[in-house]
Amino acid sequence: MATTRARVVQMEQRPATGGNALLILVGLSVAFLLIVALLGAAKSGGSLFSESNLLYVSLIFYAAAGALYMGFGVTGTARYVKFASTATAIGLVANTLAIAHRWYLSGRPPFASIYEMLLSFVWAVALLTLVAEKKFGVKIIGSITMPLAVVCVILMQLLPSEVRPLVPALQSTWLHVHVTLAMLAYAACALSFALAMMFLIQDGLKTETFLACTSATVSAIYVAIVATRFEKWGGLSVTAWDPRTKSDMFLGRGMRLFVTIPDLGWLFVIAALSGIVPLALYFAARAKKDESLFGIANRAVFIGILLQIVVLAAFALRVRDASYPSPDQDGLFPTSLAASPFLLGGMVTGIFASLLYLMMLWRRTDLQGMLPSADTLDRVTYKTICIAFPLLTGMIATGAYWANRTWGSYWSWDPKETWAAITWLVYAGYLHMRITRGWRGRRAAYFAILGFGIVIFTFLGVTYLLPGLHAYA
Amino acid sequence: MAFSLLSVPKRIHKTFSNLRTGVILLILVGLASALGTFILQRPATDPEKLARAYSPATLHWLDRLGLTDVFHTWWFLTLLGLVSLSIILVSIDRFPNAWRFYARPYRKTDSHFRSALPNKVELPISNTEDGLNAAERALKKTGWPVERIADRNEPSLYSERHRFSVMSVYLVHASLLLIFAGGIIDGVFGFSGFMALQKGQTSNTIELRAGGTRQLPFAVKCNGAGQENYADGSPKRWWSKLAVVENGQDVETKEIVVNDPLIHNGLRFYQASFGTTGKLEGLKVAVTPAQGVPSEITLTMNQPVQLDPKTTVTLAEYIPDFFVRDNQIFKRSDDPVNPAFRLQVKNTATGEEAKLWMFPAYNAAAQGEATSYKFEYRDMEMATYTGLEVSHEPGQWLVWAGVLLMGAGLFVAFYLVHMRIWIAAVTDPRGNLVLWIGGQANKNRDRFEQKFNELVDNIRTELESASAIPLSAQRERPELTLAGMK
Repeated sequence: MATTRARVVQMEQRPATGGNALLILVGLSVAFLLIVALLGAAKSGGSLFSESNLLYVSLIFYAAAGALYMGFGVTGTARYVKFASTATAIGLVANTLAIAHRWYLSGRPPFASIYEMLLSFVWAVALLTLVAEKKFGVKIIGSITMPLAVVCVILMQLLPSEVRPLVPALQSTWLHVHVTLAMLAYAACALSFALAMMFLIQDGLKTETFLACTSATVSAIYVAIVATRFEKWGGLSVTAWDPRTKSDMFLGRGMRLFVTIPDLGWLFVIAALSGIVPLALYFAARAKKDESLFGIANRAVFIGILLQIVVLAAFALRVRDASYPSPDQDGLFPTSLAASPFLLGGMVTGIFASLLYLMMLWRRTDLQGMLPSADTLDRVTYKTICIAFPLLTGMIATGAYWANRTWGSYWSWDPKETWAAITWLVYAGYLHMRITRGWRGRRAAYFAILGFGIVIFTFLGVTYLLPGLHAYA
Repeated sequence: MAFSLLSVPKRIHKTFSNLRTGVILLILVGLASALGTFILQRPATDPEKLARAYSPATLHWLDRLGLTDVFHTWWFLTLLGLVSLSIILVSIDRFPNAWRFYARPYRKTDSHFRSALPNKVELPISNTEDGLNAAERALKKTGWPVERIADRNEPSLYSERHRFSVMSVYLVHASLLLIFAGGIIDGVFGFSGFMALQKGQTSNTIELRAGGTRQLPFAVKCNGAGQENYADGSPKRWWSKLAVVENGQDVETKEIVVNDPLIHNGLRFYQASFGTTGKLEGLKVAVTPAQGVPSEITLTMNQPVQLDPKTTVTLAEYIPDFFVRDNQIFKRSDDPVNPAFRLQVKNTATGEEAKLWMFPAYNAAAQGEATSYKFEYRDMEMATYTGLEVSHEPGQWLVWAGVLLMGAGLFVAFYLVHMRIWIAAVTDPRGNLVLWIGGQANKNRDRFEQKFNELVDNIRTELESASAIPLSAQRERPELTLAGMK
């Protein structure tokens, strides 16, 4: 403990030249992106304060905040946090205005599609980040929640965003109550996840374990993509996109038309290696008790990030506005980045996860100096879940009541319902183990991380993989 | 001995009242539910899709294991039953202790207890009565109820808030059981089904979800149904005008829309779908006599329409989606996408008949044997039906009661903190008289620590003001002793 303290003091005393460099860099990027956006908006002649412009502004500021939070984690320059929370606050204001604008335009609260839900989810995440920072003093939390917000906003840029009229089943007050509760609950879960990660860092969980988890996540993402999308002779299958209607193409009811991009599949196989190789090295190091292999694994993670960025760029370039053959129907069909939001979301998540790992690897002791004590983090995680759990319960209850008025049954084991119930069970398990069995610390933190994984699956995975009655979101 | 018959219930009790068993059961429920979302489920997916997704052998085994209808198999329901049993037994096991704690709070301040408390402070005082009075004043000012405990020769104060929060877990558990009970009642006595009505049709039969039909004690009549669209063509509103018919009389009418069902005798009728039956209701054609202006008539199947005193026209055949092979007209499907109509023009005087075909997708004018009339297609009207979801859920009120109770229980459990304060005048090891203040909260302890410290500060100021300005303290004393005696 004493050594950590000493280090912090040392950090603060170091001349902050590096600190200014990052501030200037981030400031310049923000200014540049804003000017580009302004020019674009002026050229297209649309309203300056349109929803998409506002959202773009919040994306810029969230990204800037994320960079500064990470910069704080790396260098410990206290000023970064000030600028980072200011950036978060500006992003939050822009985000709020975007929601208000959409609300005003459509004449109803924006809660009816996955795009609109992400809009409020990001809002809640940013808000809770500021709350956690100001109220609980967890300053570094933004380095996890802000990248999450950025991934969501990028995802939103690709999802169909036009205001659609409400289908009959959605014309209910309960929609608003249900979705508001859901987004608040999910944001609270996201926060508890970030806090649990912070706890594990502070609690001295071995860096190698983080290595294994990060590589496992990256491998899981790419193995899932390869398993579902890899076609014969190295092609990658993606959904066809109709640029006129701005929607996925369909073969028949509920059957999407897929096109195959030649050779791209191999790149994804290679990208999967960027997760698998460090993971294999980790296991080899454990089996042989050879510490030096960890060093190689860490280097592999670094190379893996570069590889993932290359694959992401290749994917973006190949997908963009080009036509490809389909195995199911003759002819060439266009596709677009917008047709594969979840592939893209997964890839960006992989990159962020690896980056966060490297940040932790290189600056762990500094990070630990910045964080509140493990005990505080543990308690705040628990408090966040104490907020999330009643919200989750309320979400399920209002959903059931609404379903009862719309579908004639309060519970029909629809995939979304079932997964919401599973999420609820996981957090209920957490609370029981914590309250009656006194689970503290690591086990509780693992539980919180598992809970958020299931939340993300319920929120996005079920919509994408297991369609049911919740077809609209 | 260990396996004697008597010990079996005991063992079962011991197993299920164990929290670990409960958690394992919950994990099993979670896993089974997850499986049920990954494997296509029976009533919701049609058999063809299942056959396409799984090989016959796989499907056979999935069916045998109940995995194609996880949420209704005996083993899943058993699992839910065991969870309920576990909740009940765990609660029963812990209840006596909790009740003892709730009914008889520990108010004493013996030295053993004092040393075990997490939050405690000692303030020097000059005499017992003044110290306790000052503490009582400070507590009352911040709204704490105070009790004087006269125990042996050591008078003390006890104060607590939100004692009820100790019992909140039982509220939550009871609410879960209520919800389960409601679900079981609905599973046993409830039913749900579907009823399709055309305009003017009356029916009391529903097709059950589980298969088969069921007769309702009353009939439902559809007085009209329709769909309204947004400008982009997506549906905005479905509505049906329904009437409940009992003994041939309309006893209740309502226009239902999605989200607003008709409820009669515990049966609810929901607007579920709306569509065309595939039956033709009317064909609008323009008729032009040899000399004269065209007029519009509507033809229904096999109903002759008089064109002039000697001539009638009849819609004799309707094919929703036709194709031609070997100069014959055949039906391809039931979708009215490429219709063909056969008209018969009859001279009632001579009995002569002329056959005409109308293919609106290609040519609005009818073609065929010559008549003195020309027919031109205008429009076709399809018979529409309204799809009603019918459900009877007698247990739903228990479910809603459970939901409300759970809301209350969770609120109490998470946001009401049971806080206790003990204050006693004791002699510390060095022989000085001190006011000992101890406190404990059952959750949110850091927040309580703040409150506790504030309270200690208040007591300190009270003590100081009492000793510094004895006049004011004396003025206050009479009412305080009164309050203390109450």
